[in-house]
Amino acid sequence: MSSSSYSSSPCAACKFLRRKCMPDCIFAPYFPPEEPQKFANVHKIFGASNVSKLLNEVPTFQREDAVNSLAYEAEARLKDPVYGCVGAISVLQRQVITLQRELDATNANLFRYAYNEMPPLRPPPPPPPPAAGQSSGFYYPYQWNDPSDEDNERSSGGNM
Amino acid sequence: MTLKGGATSACAACKYQRRKCIPECLLAPYFPADQTKVFQNAHKLFGVSNIVKILRSLDPSQHAEAMRSIKYQANVRDRFPVYGCLGVIRQLYYQIQMLEEEMHTVLTQLEMYRQHHHHQQQQHQHQHQISSMADDVISQLELGMAPSNNALPLFNQVTHQPYTMQNTYSSSDIDSPPKDNVENNSLWIQHLFLDTNNHGTSNNDSPIAIQSQLLVPNSEPLADTQHQVVQDYDEIHPFLDSIDDRQSYIDTKDAEDSSSSEESLKETTQLMVGNVGSKDLKNAAACFSLTSVN
Repeated sequence: MSSSSYSSSPCAACKFLRRKCMPDCIFAPYFPPEEPQKFANVHKIFGASNVSKLLNEVPTFQREDAVNSLAYEAEARLKDPVYGCVGAISVLQRQVITLQRELDATNANLFRYAYNEMPPLRPPPPPPPPAAGQSSGFYYPYQWNDPSDEDNERSSGGNM
Repeated sequence: MTLKGGATSACAACKYQRRKCIPECLLAPYFPADQTKVFQNAHKLFGVSNIVKILRSLDPSQHAEAMRSIKYQANVRDRFPVYGCLGVIRQLYYQIQMLEEEMHTVLTQLEMYRQHHHHQQQQHQHQHQISSMADDVISQLELGMAPSNNALPLFNQVTHQPYTMQNTYSSSDIDSPPKDNVENNSLWIQHLFLDTNNHGTSNNDSPIAIQSQLLVPNSEPLADTQHQVVQDYDEIHPFLDSIDDRQSYIDTKDAEDSSSSEESLKETTQLMVGNVGSKDLKNAAACFSLTSVN
């Protein structure tokens, strides 16, 4: 659906929403008509109105990054409805912890060699992976605590 | 909104929407009334309808984990409005990259130390063998015993092993680098000759430059030492021939001629210590005459 008074075609958002793409359309710079799936994913997970509000709160020069991050999160949530992009965060955080442990052990070995001339110890074995279905192994690196709400991640998961 | 006569209050979601919180409310278990900020974040990013849509597409056993991730994602977005969880992921990738680089550096240094320790052990073993063999030979000679038929090879080994050891040192250093790459050699050399304090930033140019600087002067002393050892070996060789003759002579002598045997022993030691001169020739002749008498 294109307007005759404007040379440019409507953006993917206005095409999807089937509305007139105005010159000051907030979506137009970031959702080109060549990428319809991008807006479709974002709209399905977050909704157009929420995205519009979020973009209005962000400076203009950072809106493209914000849209790209939303598009990434939306696609991740569609692929994995349970964990979304947080699943990748958990995997990476475990990797960081494992690497840090190995590095600490290797540094300790190096110290022993350098100052005691003793044979190095073997590095500690990696921690066993958690059993399938357990949620206790899920790492949330940023614990968000609001003093007013006293949010606690452990309190979630109640029965219906 | 509280129920009349009920102890439970409306969940944060229903409170925000100002509606009655029914017992079958999907969001009630996950948004208690005291967590308004958490719900506001989730509502701001996803919206109630989208959250309910996600929950309805999942098995009830997965609702808890899904809500946990949704709340986390919303909180992160509230904290980082531009990048959200993607910023966290990028940061973790960067951390992993830094850790891997540091691990590589530390493992390289550890390998250097292992090789150094291994070579030191080899050198100590060789030195111990040399000293024990030398002790054996000296003790046998002092006792007037014929050394074993391996006397010559023993001396060969005594003089040859340092050559071999150093050859091994140089070959392992230059010809057969450790399994990784040349950079390990360079770092090892750097450790041996410099006070190493290598940390995270690995510069490939400087270790190789150091290697080139160190290997050139390092090879020259080795060559000189090898040459010197060869010369020493050549100088000892004539003595070995004479010692063999003397010792065979000592075997055939009568045991009663202790004085002459003592004298021959002295001569033998003199031969070992000094050069063959006219005095020794005279002694040799004397021994020959004594033998002819017997």
